[in-house]
Amino acid sequence: MKKLLILFLGGFCSAAYSLEPMTAEDMGQVTGQGGVYLSGDLTINENGGPLNADGPSANGYSWQTNCSSSTDKRCGARIALNTGTGRGWFVLDNIKGRFSFEGLTLRTRKIDSGFNGDGATFNGDVFEIGLPNTLDFEDTSFTIANSNTPRPTDSGFRQTDILTVETNGQANLQGNLLIFPTGNP
Amino acid sequence: MKKIIILTFVSSFSHAGLVPISDTEMESISGQAGVTLETTSAFEIGEVSYTEDGNSLQVRDIKSGLPSDITQGSLSTQVIDVQADGTLQIATEVSPTRLTIGGLHINNSTASAGQFRLDYSGSSLLRLGGSDSGNYLEGSFQTAINDAELVWTTNGSALSFDDIGYNANITRLGIGEATDAGRTGLNFDLDEFSYSFSTGGMKLGGVSLGTLAGELALSGNAQLFAGGRIDSDGNGGEGISLNASINILEDPTNFVRFTDDGNDLFMGDFNGSLNVDNLTFDVMSDHLLVGFDELSGSFNADRILIGDVVNPVGAIQLDFRLADANGYSNRWKLYPGIRQPVFNSLPVAIRSYSQSFYSGLGAGSDGLSASVEWSLANAEAAYIDNGRIVVVSGIESFGRGDLTLDMRQFDHDNNASTATKTAIAFGMNRFQGSYSIDGLRVGNKTAPIQGGAELLLSLEVFQAMDFNLDGYTLVTAGGESGGGIQIDGDYLFSDTNIGLSIDENGQGVWATGVNYDIHLREFQIDVSPSGLSINRGEQWSTMDIANMRWGDKTSGRSLGRIVLERFEKGSSLTINPGGAGTVCVGANASNASACGAAGGRWEDRGNEGLTVALKAAFAPEGLTSDGTIARNRLTWENNRSTDANGDPVNGSGTQIILDSYSTNDGLGPTDSNNYGFQANLNIDVFETKVAKKFSGTDDNGVNGNQGDELIYDDSSRTTYTYVASPSNAQKNLRPLGFAVQGNVSFKDFQIDQVQLKHPDVTAPQTVFSGVVMQNLNMTTNLTATPIR
Repeated sequence: MKKLLILFLGGFCSAAYSLEPMTAEDMGQVTGQGGVYLSGDLTINENGGPLNADGPSANGYSWQTNCSSSTDKRCGARIALNTGTGRGWFVLDNIKGRFSFEGLTLRTRKIDSGFNGDGATFNGDVFEIGLPNTLDFEDTSFTIANSNTPRPTDSGFRQTDILTVETNGQANLQGNLLIFPTGNP
Repeated sequence: MKKIIILTFVSSFSHAGLVPISDTEMESISGQAGVTLETTSAFEIGEVSYTEDGNSLQVRDIKSGLPSDITQGSLSTQVIDVQADGTLQIATEVSPTRLTIGGLHINNSTASAGQFRLDYSGSSLLRLGGSDSGNYLEGSFQTAINDAELVWTTNGSALSFDDIGYNANITRLGIGEATDAGRTGLNFDLDEFSYSFSTGGMKLGGVSLGTLAGELALSGNAQLFAGGRIDSDGNGGEGISLNASINILEDPTNFVRFTDDGNDLFMGDFNGSLNVDNLTFDVMSDHLLVGFDELSGSFNADRILIGDVVNPVGAIQLDFRLADANGYSNRWKLYPGIRQPVFNSLPVAIRSYSQSFYSGLGAGSDGLSASVEWSLANAEAAYIDNGRIVVVSGIESFGRGDLTLDMRQFDHDNNASTATKTAIAFGMNRFQGSYSIDGLRVGNKTAPIQGGAELLLSLEVFQAMDFNLDGYTLVTAGGESGGGIQIDGDYLFSDTNIGLSIDENGQGVWATGVNYDIHLREFQIDVSPSGLSINRGEQWSTMDIANMRWGDKTSGRSLGRIVLERFEKGSSLTINPGGAGTVCVGANASNASACGAAGGRWEDRGNEGLTVALKAAFAPEGLTSDGTIARNRLTWENNRSTDANGDPVNGSGTQIILDSYSTNDGLGPTDSNNYGFQANLNIDVFETKVAKKFSGTDDNGVNGNQGDELIYDDSSRTTYTYVASPSNAQKNLRPLGFAVQGNVSFKDFQIDQVQLKHPDVTAPQTVFSGVVMQNLNMTTNLTATPIR
């Protein structure tokens, strides 16, 4: 099976091509490549989700609640995965929070030089995600849980919450994420 | 030699009972010089034939008379007078009259372009005199047509325009001599040609699609020459050619309006120009050939409304040039009748739909066919949102293909027990073409090319495409709310390349070798008080991408094959005026001070812009209205074996499959599916903060520190500086870009199975037996600007 190689320049290099990171100055010399510079934020369930507004009630569980200033776990998003028929479900519950950033770049470019000579060997195009220098987390959180059925409205639903992860603060993200095909298509 | 032949002519003229004026009456008349003709006429002409280079365009069965009985004469009155300055004046009044044409043929073709009927009454005033400017004649012309009806019928089904009103006023009309490259022809000068028009209804089988109205003023000139583009020997010869230059005068009262159930699509306050060089008409052995060497112009509309009468969408500006390029020209071959494709030459995936579309039509069926070739050498399309401009630059397109057009009866609701509707049937056969966009320019029309069009991918606006298209569309009247239109269609893009994220050199991410079949049922389009709505009754499609390539579209490395199958029932799309309005980026606040205090950035993006709301109701696997099985499924395949040509063989590799995903309202696939998967996009053009990503000199030689803001030096937006703490004035000179506030939400999204399939096993193996995602409400505020 073909592999999709993802390289974090500055942190991880593929053994296939052993690309070395470009310097910031090298990156600045790349022209005519189009691409976009993105600034903004991404917010998940800041004021609840659509089920909280007019969702169904069944088997003693109601989705509807006011989420404008609530910490009710129903207000977050929910993902349930089943790894085998007749078995339980792995759950990420009450997913919410905000990520904001400035300077996430997306573009494609050709690498045929640099990287201490590995670029000439590679001689191909990559899709480059230029990481923003900073990524702000604001009240991002999720709960890891197990349940016996996928939906809280299912008959006999039971869920065990294992732990909750909450993040606030700022992460420094530098370098580029390069995505390119390799192997047999 | 050109000939116009009238084969049969039967007429009945009668002068309306003229009675001699008595001597006494004559004495009481003064200053009444001139002649008054009152004519009651009915006529029937078997055929009028225009013959050119031995080929004839034939207009048959022409009749005129009273609308109630065409064999009876209708009344017209002409008052002919010579004014004191020597000007000849002809004033005409026409009482209700019917004119019919039984058929349009070429060289006695079996098929005709259909039948036409025009009912009208009206008046005109023509003044002609000598010229001081070298023309043969100069004068003015006014006309008014009231309560007219135009009907085009093919095979017993009709498209009509009811209650047509038309007023035209040419302040100065000059007719003189024109010369061009040794040719001599006629020159027509039009000064201040203002006209207005309206229809009470565009109707299919008597059911209205909506009404049209407009008003605009033109000026220009045209030169008419004998001699066309080509004769039977492939040379010039007989025919007609035309050069013209027309200006749409700048006038705030110019408008065009389509009204559906009282709600308007409106474009006003527009101006522009149009120049055509060597527009030719030639009659060939079985078609009429129309072509031009170059058609160029510009068009600017400052006021566009969709439904909402208060909030405008913004303004548009278009510059274009259609001319020979890339081995393509601009030619239309128009054939009477329906020219069906060679079905065996069509791809198998669309063949049965094509055969069904043309079933019931034969060699003698009425309609219109065309073989077209187009070449758009360049176009620049600008959108202006609250004074901020973004230009889609370097638009180029060329291709060729065959079209058919007729009216027919159609089972619009797939229910044999209900009445059929009259439909416009539009067939596209073997269209092969290409288009590309260099990129965007923001701030002004000469700003550097940049990326950013990727943000429009969610609207299926691609940056480039090489396509082969066969498609069959049926348009009926009556949308969701009664007016409007309904579209049913089947389409196949075959062996197509799609540029998903590419630069002006065509390098980037390409989906290549794409076969994309699309089936639409009961797509209903209406104008509502808030915007334009499209209710998508049923849609199923398969997009099979042979290779997802990085770099060049032919030689770039491939990620493998991706197949996306879709099946939706009850989806919708609405387009409303107005973008995001005020936005707090990076925090949650409702005013500027609170936003700033919370660490966010307050942006007032104005009242213009666009909001696109998409609802995709993914249906569980099931039967389509055609009786086929459809589902939502995503397959990624790679490590395929290759054939003798070295091409990957689909189905021979390893696959990962997201099988049968669907949406519902919260209780699972058996629940209702009214909410679906919703994506709302508020699209504006706006300034945004662009921070330097590293300290040092950028590719334009401008130095700055990491984190400094890129600020243009002035409103020309050509040079810039990096500024650590910009002032408020400098913040207005931040880079512009597409500002998109997006919201994605769903109540319940279920993937039945995630599977892996090895080529050595017959059935895929399950990784996840189910994935259920619920209650997601995700909002993004993104602005795309050029990379520095």
